[in-house]
Amino acid sequence: MKNIKAIAIKEFIHITRDRRTLMMIILMPLMQLMIYGYGINTDVKHMKTVIYDEDRTSMSRRLVQSLEQSGYFDIRRHASSAGELYEAIDRGKAKAGLLIPPDFMKDALSGRSANLQMLIDGTDSNPANTALNTSQAIVSHFMQSEGLVPPQMSPVDFRPRLWYNPDLKTTFFMIPGLVGLVLQLIIPMIAATAIVREKERGNIEQILVSPIKPHEFILGKIIPYICIGMLIASTIIACAHFLFGIPIRGNLFTLFTLTLVFLTVCLGIGIFASTVASSQQQASQIIMFFAMPSILLSGFIFPRETMPAVIYQIGHIIPLTYFVKIIRGIVLKGLGFADLWDQIIPLFVLGVVILAFSITRFHKRLE
Amino acid sequence: MIRNEIAIQTKDLTRKFGEYTAVNQINLSIRYGEIFGFLGANGAGKSTTIRLLCGILAPTGGTATVGGYDINTDSEKIKSSIGYVSQKFSLYTDLTVLENLEFYGHIYNISEKGWKNRLNEVLALSGLEPWKNHIAAELSGGWKQRLAIANATLHKPKILFLDEPTAGVDPVSRRSLWELLYELANQGTTLFATTHYMEEAERCHQIAFISQGKILAIGKPADLKANIKGKIIEIECQPLMKASQAFQKLPGVTGLTAYGTSLHLNVDNDEAIRPLIAEAARNESISITSLKTVPASLEDVFATLSEKSA
Repeated sequence: MKNIKAIAIKEFIHITRDRRTLMMIILMPLMQLMIYGYGINTDVKHMKTVIYDEDRTSMSRRLVQSLEQSGYFDIRRHASSAGELYEAIDRGKAKAGLLIPPDFMKDALSGRSANLQMLIDGTDSNPANTALNTSQAIVSHFMQSEGLVPPQMSPVDFRPRLWYNPDLKTTFFMIPGLVGLVLQLIIPMIAATAIVREKERGNIEQILVSPIKPHEFILGKIIPYICIGMLIASTIIACAHFLFGIPIRGNLFTLFTLTLVFLTVCLGIGIFASTVASSQQQASQIIMFFAMPSILLSGFIFPRETMPAVIYQIGHIIPLTYFVKIIRGIVLKGLGFADLWDQIIPLFVLGVVILAFSITRFHKRLE
Repeated sequence: MIRNEIAIQTKDLTRKFGEYTAVNQINLSIRYGEIFGFLGANGAGKSTTIRLLCGILAPTGGTATVGGYDINTDSEKIKSSIGYVSQKFSLYTDLTVLENLEFYGHIYNISEKGWKNRLNEVLALSGLEPWKNHIAAELSGGWKQRLAIANATLHKPKILFLDEPTAGVDPVSRRSLWELLYELANQGTTLFATTHYMEEAERCHQIAFISQGKILAIGKPADLKANIKGKIIEIECQPLMKASQAFQKLPGVTGLTAYGTSLHLNVDNDEAIRPLIAEAARNESISITSLKTVPASLEDVFATLSEKSA
């Protein structure tokens, strides 16, 4: 116990003196929070829109107004010709363009079929789809409110409702998962470099001839990184709640216990890398090799359900896959241990396997 | 002071790495308080022997006891009773002198009560007191070694292993380092040191020459020098390379070492060889400035031994 404490204290001193590690611990989570919290936004609101209104009547103005009020379309410009509108879309200055022909109001009121054209930039399918659906909904609602068509009586009253994230905010989806991403990126890296550094600088030689036992060495080395990992996780959770207004619906104890399990997995990866690498640089390369597929295939960014079968299966051996589901489940849905067993067990098993394997390897390398 | 009890004893100690035998049936007997010098070229098996005796490498044959503990069965006990100073500085360069010492103080289980005293003793002995709050990286080579020695002696080990303790240290610091080592030996610590420097070996109580894993000679420096067969002739001449090639071939020459600007020849008969040397010098146009018979040094002993084993 005393040895473990001495090693842990020494490790903390190393961390405070190593500017590179310190920067990584502090800046990396902040950077990721900025990127995923503010930068990446797949919400397709506020699409830049150009209007070419040849009708210039009160009705055409009301139509434009209801587009704008929906929040999905920002009217950036009123074009003075159809050509100008096409050009704006061509150049990417606008994602959507609405052409209201002359006599739009007259035709509509007289019951003749009035023409209305919406042009949408389809290069990015996601916002294009939203633009298509919302514009259709807005126009049909507009027609009803103008009394152009009688309100329809439907035999089925269909009312879809969105649970957990009613506003479909990307941050709700991204930020909780970010805990997993940041831990996966930082913890194996700093733990592996800390161990490899002792090899690289020859410190391990002195440790070997001392009465320190290998398990004391490993434990003492990783305790500081467990503390740092938990601190990072708490910071992100706090930011999620107070900065991005994400409700924490689940139990914090459950959340942190399972974060600790995931943290152990990350440390296992770090220890493994340290047994393979002979320099700090090699260690970070090995870790990036693990991190990239983890981030892409875990479902953190891209939904796993749409992946090809083989890729989908690979996701099952990635610890982050389970943790992303767990943390989203706890934060957004308020799930507990009982609901998450099918995620917790594989995560736990992966953790035990990785940790046992890497510690055995570590022991062998020492001898 | 040297006592009669045995500190380190090895019997046919052997370590093989696959086909290669790094340490080959070594027999050593070192008493408490002794300064033991372990000499040999790089790769001769010095470091492997130290690693075996420190209990971090298991032998493939033979036995050894260190401080009364068997290296095969009691390596953990050996670890807490010895000190080790490695060839390359192996403490933490980003920690201060004090932080390094405190860390190993904890590891070697020095009691809270005794710690302050022991720390001050070690700082005073090593002269590190003024440096105690400096980061280890800021220390010069000599001071780093002092820190390593101070650190290795915190727990008052009876046996201290030093692997090339003065490698890469300037001559002045080297001398003062040895004074520190003598002081430790005076206090009763057994020193097991490997070295390249013959003048350091001269100061040891007992030395052993190792080559290709085998002990070629072992004994007191004076005895080893006395036992050397034949005489040593010192020749100051130019050019050195050509001269050494020419003289080496002469009949009756059993060893040759370069000493700065002169050559040492180990010869069977110092009178009979003189005309041969003069003739060789004429033929090869080598200019000899001086030629005299000198007492053997350890370097000569080493040169003859290496020559024989080659």
